[in-house]
Amino acid sequence: MAWRETRAGWRHVLTVLVCVALGVAALVSVGSLSADLSRTLAREAKTLLGGDVEVRSLRAPPPAVVEAVERLHAEGSALTHTRELVGMARSLGGASLLVEVKAVDAAYPLYGVVEIAPPGRLAELLAEGGAVVEESLLARLGLQPGDRFMLGEAALVVRGVLRREPDRPASLVSLGPRVLVSQTSIDGSGLIAFGSRVRQRWLLRLPPSIAPSEARARLAAAIDDPSIRVAAFDEAQPGLKRFLDQLGIYLGLVGLVSLLVGGVGVAASVATFMRRRRPTIAVLKCLGADTRTLLATYVVQTELIGLAGSVVGALLGVAVLPLLVAVTRDLVPFAIEGRVDPGTILRGIAMGGAITLLCALWPLLRVRDVRPAEVLRQDVTPVARARRSAPWLMALPIAGGLAALAIWQARSWTVGVIFVGAALAALLILAALGRGIVMLARALPRRGALAWRQGVGGLMRPGGQVAGVIVALGVGVMLLEAVALLEASLNAQLDHERRREAPSFFFIDVQPDQRDRFEAVVRDTTGVTPRLTPVVRARLAAVGREPVTRALVDRRRAERKGDEPFFLIREYVLTTASVLPDGNRVIAGRWWTDAEARGRVLVSLEEDMAKSLRLGVGDQIAFEVQGVRVEAEVASIRHVVWQSFNTNFFAILSPGTLDGAPTTWVATARVPAALEPRLQDAVVRTFPNVTAVPVRDVLERVGGLLAQMAFAIRGIAGFSIGAGLVVMIAALTATRAQRLYESVILRTLGATRGVVARAFAVEYACLGVVAGVGGSGLASLLAWIVLRFLLETPWQLAPLTLATGVALTIVLSVAVGFLTTWRLLGYKPLPVLRRE
Amino acid sequence: MGPGMIHVRDVVMRLTSGGRTVTVLDSVSLDVARGECVAVTGPSGSGKSTLLGLVAGLDTPTSGAVVVDGVDLGTLDEDALARFRRDRIGFVFQSYHLIPTLTAVENVAVPLELAGVADARARAAHLLAELGLGARGHHYPVQLSGGEQQRVALARAVAREPGLLLADEPTGNLDSATGASIIELLLALNRERGSTLVLVTHDAALAARADRQIALRDGRVIAATDLSATLPLS
Repeated sequence: MAWRETRAGWRHVLTVLVCVALGVAALVSVGSLSADLSRTLAREAKTLLGGDVEVRSLRAPPPAVVEAVERLHAEGSALTHTRELVGMARSLGGASLLVEVKAVDAAYPLYGVVEIAPPGRLAELLAEGGAVVEESLLARLGLQPGDRFMLGEAALVVRGVLRREPDRPASLVSLGPRVLVSQTSIDGSGLIAFGSRVRQRWLLRLPPSIAPSEARARLAAAIDDPSIRVAAFDEAQPGLKRFLDQLGIYLGLVGLVSLLVGGVGVAASVATFMRRRRPTIAVLKCLGADTRTLLATYVVQTELIGLAGSVVGALLGVAVLPLLVAVTRDLVPFAIEGRVDPGTILRGIAMGGAITLLCALWPLLRVRDVRPAEVLRQDVTPVARARRSAPWLMALPIAGGLAALAIWQARSWTVGVIFVGAALAALLILAALGRGIVMLARALPRRGALAWRQGVGGLMRPGGQVAGVIVALGVGVMLLEAVALLEASLNAQLDHERRREAPSFFFIDVQPDQRDRFEAVVRDTTGVTPRLTPVVRARLAAVGREPVTRALVDRRRAERKGDEPFFLIREYVLTTASVLPDGNRVIAGRWWTDAEARGRVLVSLEEDMAKSLRLGVGDQIAFEVQGVRVEAEVASIRHVVWQSFNTNFFAILSPGTLDGAPTTWVATARVPAALEPRLQDAVVRTFPNVTAVPVRDVLERVGGLLAQMAFAIRGIAGFSIGAGLVVMIAALTATRAQRLYESVILRTLGATRGVVARAFAVEYACLGVVAGVGGSGLASLLAWIVLRFLLETPWQLAPLTLATGVALTIVLSVAVGFLTTWRLLGYKPLPVLRRE
Repeated sequence: MGPGMIHVRDVVMRLTSGGRTVTVLDSVSLDVARGECVAVTGPSGSGKSTLLGLVAGLDTPTSGAVVVDGVDLGTLDEDALARFRRDRIGFVFQSYHLIPTLTAVENVAVPLELAGVADARARAAHLLAELGLGARGHHYPVQLSGGEQQRVALARAVAREPGLLLADEPTGNLDSATGASIIELLLALNRERGSTLVLVTHDAALAARADRQIALRDGRVIAATDLSATLPLS
């Protein structure tokens, strides 16, 4: 019976199928990509790390490190030592460029292959002042392979173009092109001076007799300093893993929204189908079919269609996967294969089936309300009977099922519950708007041209599913506009030109004896006086009275479920200040007076640091500055506006604390854009050891990354819009007969096709306006919440973006409406009237 | 009687139904003079309603010509046909065919608004009052009885004072008493305005009140009886 019923309603079948397919396609494509990324990360872990075990330090290695590593080397492990830092490359013509330098030895790499053009042995290419560089460096400095360039004080020759570096640090935004050099070359460059920030890595490939976990344990036991990171390959790249996991979860939630919109379409289509089948159901009941049999028939039918749609969606998701891979390729430091993941496909199909059942159940239950007596009279509305069970009791398991799906997709109770709450709020608001427009149409005075009144009257058409269309379209608009608004707000933050207070450059590693001359060079080149801040590098020695040991770090890591206790192990850049710096606000305690600062050693901590270290005003903290212990009392906790681009610090000590400490200087300068290249070249030429970080460039790179991520999210959100349009088409198709009838009557009475078309346009535009305004309003709210609470970034009203969203929704609504119904204008009136 | 209002020449109408071709009208020719009242009779399926629809330009014949008020309908496109109906033809249907989302007065006002008449609504309300529905103008069709709906349809059909009034089984869905009152109204309106009336009916008594009867069977005219000399209209 289920199959026979299906034959009678092919449009209904198609609608349900497409609605489910779009949502499942989104989930499968995102899920497959996420699974591929996780799989590749796990498989390539050793290559990404560069070894089985890594020891990483930002400081000169204490003897314990070298001894522990050498011991393992002696037991048969292969060993390589790398040093990474940022520096300035300079062409012989004077053009300069910030680069990321990596000095390697002959054993590098232990895993993977460094791909170079033309191919060659890396150690040979780097010998005697050779360098292998990324293509972009050649382009930026106007060099060719074989040309010379300066790296700090070292003159190097470009011997090859770097195509792929197997263990490139997983940093989404690089500060500059990569330059590979030998350890000898970097020693001769003068870039590694006092205070330079050099990341040293010792990488080991272990013999079969030593397990990575054993090697890690031995190294950790031997190296007490917790700021020196020891990691085995399977726990490497936690930041990247976390980023990829988050990306997968959030893209997956966007995909789930598509499926929920599809669910709205399923519910609407099933409701229409059941309305049309009402006479048939009445006849079947007369013939002896009981409600349970009928309900089971329609549930089976709908579920089969939903599963078919899920399979189609899975195939579509697989087909779309290469596109998604192409868009996200640059976000990850390894090659994505784009392999199909069977588990993801099965999960997508299961979710499609579940959504179908959950969203179809409510309208299918109307089977219970059909009376056999309706075969005798259909034109009289039956008196409402008491329902067998309160409707909300049925709604609860349905809502619970949807919530469970969301939590499953989000892989987190918190995120899942927030998602369900937000989705429910959005659906309810849009549904209320949908009902509101129908009520408004009824209440509006009957004035205006015939086409206007007929169009507005069309919103009241029975079975028009106005609320469903507005929910479906509105959700898609909300997602797309939210991405656009977030992008606009974040780009406003990154727009260097508009940020009058942001410096043009950060200059790092200005040595004490270079300070005065540096100031003069900047002033002579640009007329601007740079702002110089003294800094020292330090590490955390004690929190409260507890020394920072590896045991403490491991304990805190376990408490944070594997997340790195960043503030315990990171390197700090400390400074002193007598006045509260711009962009900082004291939120606990108070800023010191000169007298207080003279009396004792005080420190002001940034709020996240204080929270992470569980420190409050009055607590003790100790730093180790080049072997000297500095103990301080927490005098205040600050909120820092990091987006201000001032030279901001996690910890600021009271004046005088660092007198006599080994200091370097960080300088900032804001100069006219036209003078930026000249300033950079002048500084780099005069001070080869100083690193110039051009803020504009970095902001542009971040902006580029943002655009890519927004594009990927928009692509997934596009499935939502697609599902919304399918719902709209289904709703228009459901009322097709009535629409045709009304248009034919009007034409019989003398209305031209233009008048009828205008009436249609009014109706579709009304739907578009409500969906557009509702979706845009919700998008603004969503963007505000994300910016305010997640990203802590100012929200900016973007009226043009909002207006564009509304306008495009109207255009889309009218266009799709006409594409679906324009044929009605060509029907001859008589055959239609005779059918009626 | 004046010069011809309707000229139908060798009209053939074939339709496809369930994969079969059905000849609904088979070389039908007839004339109706201006001001004449003609009843088209015949059994169910004889092609009466189809013939009326072709005269109104609601469909196009397979072959043959239909000339109404001097205009060959075959030379007009859809929009021109719509404008022609707006200005010159009033149609009353068996199923009323009122627009469900408009009130009674709005339904009557539609042809007036389409013609750009300034006080369309007021004129529509006046017409409804003439037909005894002055208090029901703001009701929707679903709130009116069958008789009331047909009176609204009648008011709509005569709102523009068309030269030609076509009525297809106007009492088919009404009880006999209501139907009779509708017919009286229809004939009275037609008399007052002097328009041509073509009435499709299978009611012999009603047909006898016309000036002339045209009988159809199986898509052909089998008889045309002039009743004007034998039976007065009132």
